[in-house]
Amino acid sequence: MSSIGQASEQTIIRPVQQGPSLDLPELWRFRHLFVILVWRTLKVRYQQTVVGVAWAVLQPLLLTFVFTVIFGMLASMPTNGAPYPVFVLAGLIVWQFVSQSFQWASSSIVSNAHLVTRIYFPRILLLLAAVTAALFDLLCTLALLVVVLLWYGIAPTIGALAFVPMLAFAIVTVVGLALWMAALYVPYRDIGHLLPFMTQLWMFSSPVIYPTTLLPAKYHFIYALNPLVAVIETSRWAFAGGKPPDVSMVAAAAVIALALLLSGLWFFRRHEGTFADVV
Amino acid sequence: MVNELRHRRTLSESIGRLLSAPFRRSGAATAEHHIPEAIWAIKDVSFELSQGQVMGVLGRNGSGKSTLLKILARITSPTEGMAVLSGRVGALLEIGTGFHPDLSGRENILLNGTMLGMTPTEVGHREDAIIEFSEVGDFIDTPVKHYSSGMFMRLAFAVAAHLDAEIMLVDEVLAVGDAAFQEKCKNKIQDIARSGRTVLFTSHDMAAVMRICNSGVVLDGGRLDYSGSAREAVARYCRLMSVPLPQEPAAGDDFRTVSV
Repeated sequence: MSSIGQASEQTIIRPVQQGPSLDLPELWRFRHLFVILVWRTLKVRYQQTVVGVAWAVLQPLLLTFVFTVIFGMLASMPTNGAPYPVFVLAGLIVWQFVSQSFQWASSSIVSNAHLVTRIYFPRILLLLAAVTAALFDLLCTLALLVVVLLWYGIAPTIGALAFVPMLAFAIVTVVGLALWMAALYVPYRDIGHLLPFMTQLWMFSSPVIYPTTLLPAKYHFIYALNPLVAVIETSRWAFAGGKPPDVSMVAAAAVIALALLLSGLWFFRRHEGTFADVV
Repeated sequence: MVNELRHRRTLSESIGRLLSAPFRRSGAATAEHHIPEAIWAIKDVSFELSQGQVMGVLGRNGSGKSTLLKILARITSPTEGMAVLSGRVGALLEIGTGFHPDLSGRENILLNGTMLGMTPTEVGHREDAIIEFSEVGDFIDTPVKHYSSGMFMRLAFAVAAHLDAEIMLVDEVLAVGDAAFQEKCKNKIQDIARSGRTVLFTSHDMAAVMRICNSGVVLDGGRLDYSGSAREAVARYCRLMSVPLPQEPAAGDDFRTVSV
């Protein structure tokens, strides 16, 4: 009751604003809600499961096993000398994060419709919370990767230093694309049917289970339009040996990731005011 | 503290119209000027409310009461017009927002309280009071999916009732649970109204409006029909609905005179 009469905040309500603006002071005011949303996502995901948080490690472990049997042993995929489990896990650590965060973030507005129609908060928080929760799983996969590296007696290369900055590219790409998808999902439920297919397609156009060298060199510039290629190549370089990605590839990834983010912000901001009416 | 709603024509034509078409078609609040059949949920509604005033927002179903509160709560954006709110806004448009069935009562207090605008520290300070008010007792650490619907609503109301904002938007969330708890809810709402906060209160319970509110507006078909004293607003509303005016409420006399 102490705050009454201090008129601490003034809110001015106007029609939806334009532009790719991100109201950072406002996001900061809602930081508690953001933390709670991340906490809720993680808590609920592993609630009422037998092994709980262990699923965050089991999932990449099982995938690594399946891919190793199919692509490593049966298809004898070239890996530039690295053991296939290390090779594929260095790709999966990025890919698992991207596929989870992309799908969760893209459906975050629709799946939280009960919140969107009843309380105000910057809607982008739902996307950011989904991506942040997926980062937790990435950390678990990283722990698994460390164990696998120790098992094979492989030391990370100097590329490990580039891994975290390059991961930022993946985050920016996912957030940018998810902003588009989440806003389009509100009026078009078709997006819900498209998302798994898009994710699948994205995986096959990224070097997750195969090396980039499998692709003819003349197609590399089209390939580099996918910012994930540069990120996964960095991860391979860091944990499975090989050489760093081209500077031109990294530059292309940066430009495209940024363009996705800015256009996504613009589109999302344009429509977030009407989400509550349409969702 | 002054709240005001001022309407002007500001919707500008801009790029990206093609992409926004699906949003524009379905939302009533996003109506376009050149579409004659566009439905305005509310239009030309202007009023001022000073600090500490408790205003009843009256009108039949579909008259725009909820839309008005939703705009003031920033849940939906206005197509045009402006509102200025000085102070922290607490919106009780529905109880139990964000409650998750798999989480315990205690965890849901934190979740719901934060969503309503409290900081986790504030929720912590009020946790005991909320639990006591809700009367759920030992069930507080049980997942709420195992609650009876009455317990669920009691807990949900308890969190909402302990929200401490300077401006409260209350949309008929009162009166949940059994008769005894309903009475407790109504008393709590009156306490909120009398604690010096600015309150916008929508209800179909005219006796409650006359007892709690010191000013009132009547909405009809999305337009402002009356703005002034609570007593006169209730009279206008009853005339509009062709129902008799409620009796002057005596102390402790509390029943639903009008149910719509």
